[in-house]
Amino acid sequence: MKTFAELGFPGRLIAVEGLDGSGKSTQIYLLKRWLELQELKVYFSEWNSSELVKAATSKGKKRELLTPTTFSLIHATDFADRYERHLVPLLRAGYIVLCDRYIFTAFARDVVRGCPPEWVRGIYNFAALPDLTFFFKSDLEVSLKRILDGRPQLKYFEAGMDLRLSADPYESFRIFQGRILEQYLAMSTEFNFLVVDANQVVEKQQGVVRELISQRVDLASFHRAERPVPKPRAERHARVKEEEPAP
Amino acid sequence: MKNVAKNHILVPRRSERRFYGHGIPGVDLEQLAGKLIVVEGADGSGRSTQIARLVEWLEGSGHATVQVGLKRSTLVSEELEQAQEGNILSRTTLSLFYATDFADQLENIILPALKAGFIVLADRYIYTLMARDMVRGMDEAWLRNLYGLALEPDAVFYLNVSPEELVQRTFAKNAALDYWESGMDQGLSRDMFDSFMEYQTAMQKTFRRLQSSYGFTIVDGMRSAQDINAELQKKISAVLAGK
Repeated sequence: MKTFAELGFPGRLIAVEGLDGSGKSTQIYLLKRWLELQELKVYFSEWNSSELVKAATSKGKKRELLTPTTFSLIHATDFADRYERHLVPLLRAGYIVLCDRYIFTAFARDVVRGCPPEWVRGIYNFAALPDLTFFFKSDLEVSLKRILDGRPQLKYFEAGMDLRLSADPYESFRIFQGRILEQYLAMSTEFNFLVVDANQVVEKQQGVVRELISQRVDLASFHRAERPVPKPRAERHARVKEEEPAP
Repeated sequence: MKNVAKNHILVPRRSERRFYGHGIPGVDLEQLAGKLIVVEGADGSGRSTQIARLVEWLEGSGHATVQVGLKRSTLVSEELEQAQEGNILSRTTLSLFYATDFADQLENIILPALKAGFIVLADRYIYTLMARDMVRGMDEAWLRNLYGLALEPDAVFYLNVSPEELVQRTFAKNAALDYWESGMDQGLSRDMFDSFMEYQTAMQKTFRRLQSSYGFTIVDGMRSAQDINAELQKKISAVLAGK
């Protein structure tokens, strides 16, 4: 498997991974804002967000229709839809694509749910690897507290209640997320995860993320003004005026 | 009178069971006492007619039956239908969507029915799904891994009908050729008739290729429904007797 850079794509894909409640979504949001404010070409994509597939997934979750196999397949469908219709074209067009969760989420979760690792990896082998993958490593108790600070209850699937590990959702969460953490850690070296200590305060983590990206990605080359194909003069002027009314 | 009046009812012999690949986690194959019979073939090849007759025959012989088919899952059938109407899904996505639909029925209908000793009649199975994708250039190894989740059936019958005859049968029923069955998504030809012929010929070729590795029975679908059913009954009887 190769990264998008290795495959010659002009764009770069940056993924964040971590347990539920690790704070990765906050971090990728701040990262997106930082890149956008520099007027770079940025696109953000979230796990389980393809419009059409989402309807089926939420129905499956609500009515508890999902088994480990269909849970895995429906998320793969969702990923494929976003991959083929959004991620790849945008990366071809030279965008920095930010993904809140990527294939590693499936590698970790589906295997914990009992799907064979080779089967899961085989299904996702149409996808190229991210150019950078940040892993937000948090303690279980920290993650649990972050989730419960935001809302009163744990969700059925994030607590792994479908696995019947424990009747107590909190205990189930600890066991389930603990197993996912093991899977992530086992993949860390293989997929060159950049591990961020997610027990730190938000600002410190964001500082680390921005520093690492500055070192590894030539951000200036993703500036919005730089278009891969130059437009005819007249049109270019018109566009600039339209986009920047106030100088 | 057919053989309905007989009170001697054959109890099917247990068969060796296996998944094609990794299978479904947590399934005890030993417990699957029923039989899984698959009928494959293009639209218009007579699948539903044959299955209806088989159900009548099997029930008359004292066996409980269940029917499954593509795009019939509770989980994703509606969404899949919508997606196809809009023709907005790319290849891998559509393929995985169908796999989800298949897996849902496998786990929620086929496996429980087999466990309860039913004879499951499947109106198409993974082979159609694989063939469609292969014709569209998808990687065969990828598909084999994906459908490694499927249970190996006790018998698979492929109703072989020439594309010329399929066209005639389709027009005898409907005034139009189906978009997907004509492979129109592939841009083979703007002429729907040409596209249909080309696509169905490619599908037939692919089925023959799959046949060599999955070993299903090719049935001459150009004969009368009655003759075909007689052949199927004979072969299924042998399966039930454990031969």
